[in-house]
Amino acid sequence: MTTVLVAVWGLLLAASLAWYGFLVFHVGWKAGREIRDLTATLGAADRPPPERR
Amino acid sequence: MKLTLLDWSIILVYLAGCLAAGLWMRRFVRGVQDFAVAGREMDVNLGIASLAATELGLVTIMYTAQLGYEKGFAGAAIGVIMWLVMWFVGRTGFVIGPLRASGVMTIPELFERRFSPRVRWLAGLFVVLGGLLNMGIFLRLGGEFLVHAIGLPPGALEWTMTALLGLVLLYTALGGMLSVLVTDYLQFLVMGVGIVVTSVLVLVQVGWTPLTAGLEAAWGAGQLKGHPYNPVHESSFGWGYLLWQFVFQLAAVTTWQTQISRVLSARNADTAQAMYRRTAFYFVGRFLLPGLWGAAACVWFAAQGGLPEGLTSLTAMPHFLGVVLPAGLIGLVVAAMLAAEMSTDSGYMLTWATVIYNDLVAPCLKRPISPPAQLRLTRALVVAIAVFLLFYGLWYELPGNAWDYLAVTGNIYLASVFTLLVAGLYWPRANATGAVAALVLGAVGPIAFLVLGQRLAIAPEVAGASSFTLAALGMVAGSFLSPARPLRQ
Repeated sequence: MTTVLVAVWGLLLAASLAWYGFLVFHVGWKAGREIRDLTATLGAADRPPPERR
Repeated sequence: MKLTLLDWSIILVYLAGCLAAGLWMRRFVRGVQDFAVAGREMDVNLGIASLAATELGLVTIMYTAQLGYEKGFAGAAIGVIMWLVMWFVGRTGFVIGPLRASGVMTIPELFERRFSPRVRWLAGLFVVLGGLLNMGIFLRLGGEFLVHAIGLPPGALEWTMTALLGLVLLYTALGGMLSVLVTDYLQFLVMGVGIVVTSVLVLVQVGWTPLTAGLEAAWGAGQLKGHPYNPVHESSFGWGYLLWQFVFQLAAVTTWQTQISRVLSARNADTAQAMYRRTAFYFVGRFLLPGLWGAAACVWFAAQGGLPEGLTSLTAMPHFLGVVLPAGLIGLVVAAMLAAEMSTDSGYMLTWATVIYNDLVAPCLKRPISPPAQLRLTRALVVAIAVFLLFYGLWYELPGNAWDYLAVTGNIYLASVFTLLVAGLYWPRANATGAVAALVLGAVGPIAFLVLGQRLAIAPEVAGASSFTLAALGMVAGSFLSPARPLRQ
């Protein structure tokens, strides 16, 4: 029983490390582009007042 | 451990970058809606980065490491539960779908539409009370990390954390959610790298086989409080606590205002649900990776003959990292931990200030104030919360471990507001009388734990589960005992 549980936690640990590493690059890249779009939208002179969104 | 010039350079560049980015976003704030919910222009990936950064604070790292130190890997079972619950909510849109579609800025605002202005105000009060008490220990725990990881003199804790909070306050008060999103993004990157690098180094230092064998030995010798791998074992959480956590986490991910503020900032309900699904697994690492550091600290100190005097299960992990991490790398780790602290502080201060303004102050105003005055008032509330944090964080003593304190203070509003949300969205018979009864009854258990917890042995799951039960009973009884009214739109 303990051996199985150790293996499960080991697997989850490896998956977490891989997922964190992946997210840093994947989300990092895509969220960076979204910030660019966000500031472009918010900076547009003709955007509607916030109350309409 | 002493910081080298390289360490200081990393920390200073990171802090300067955050401040500059946060202040830069101020130019885009045109009204309270931009300030509170980023003009509802946030997309999925920025939402993931912001949600992950806000929900993984230095306080999180401290209490999850404490769970790892006391319960081994089984302590991370709460993260697994959170993963499952987040994915379920993201997949089904349970609560968050209709909540985002309603177009409100805060949860209590929905209660005014569904129940009455009185329910909105009362719910706002509970949300703020639970949220601020919960946040009260963030600075202290964050400071404890710095004291033990880099050897700050104890007297410097207050000044260091005051300076850090001042920095966060500056960009949060000026740029609101827009500054929070961009600084969260930077903090997500620094924190992600720091957590992965630290975890790998801990594994290299201790070794997987010695770690697992050491945990079993520590449990056998009574140095570990619970079974290191089996969370349902009677010495660990047990079934009762874990079942409560399922309910608690379901309430947290659908109700916790700092998380919900990202849902309400999303472009639409589909974006919010996608953000939840893709962030879900992050919550396993949120408990497991710092839990690994805590478990490794337990094994390492056990091999040294036990904890040195002055260290506790809470401060063992940062002390351990300060000893085992190589010089030159501690700067990255400290920057990552500062990132964790700052992203959480900024998100929380903004969220609670928004609720205070939107749900407690604005409904009491006899005539609407101008948009610039609304902004000034919300900013003043952010400053007031920062002042509260400084003073409350310095004198409150934890009655139990940090995780239990956070769970129970959060429960002051989680149980009742979750009941109101679910009933309000999915039960047409629910009415304002039931809502008020649920709010009051739901807060009884957690407040009893906080007030009497140091004198009476009230188990946190008992305090927590009783509040959910009482809130549900209050809603059902109140709604049936008073006349049904047509739904407010």
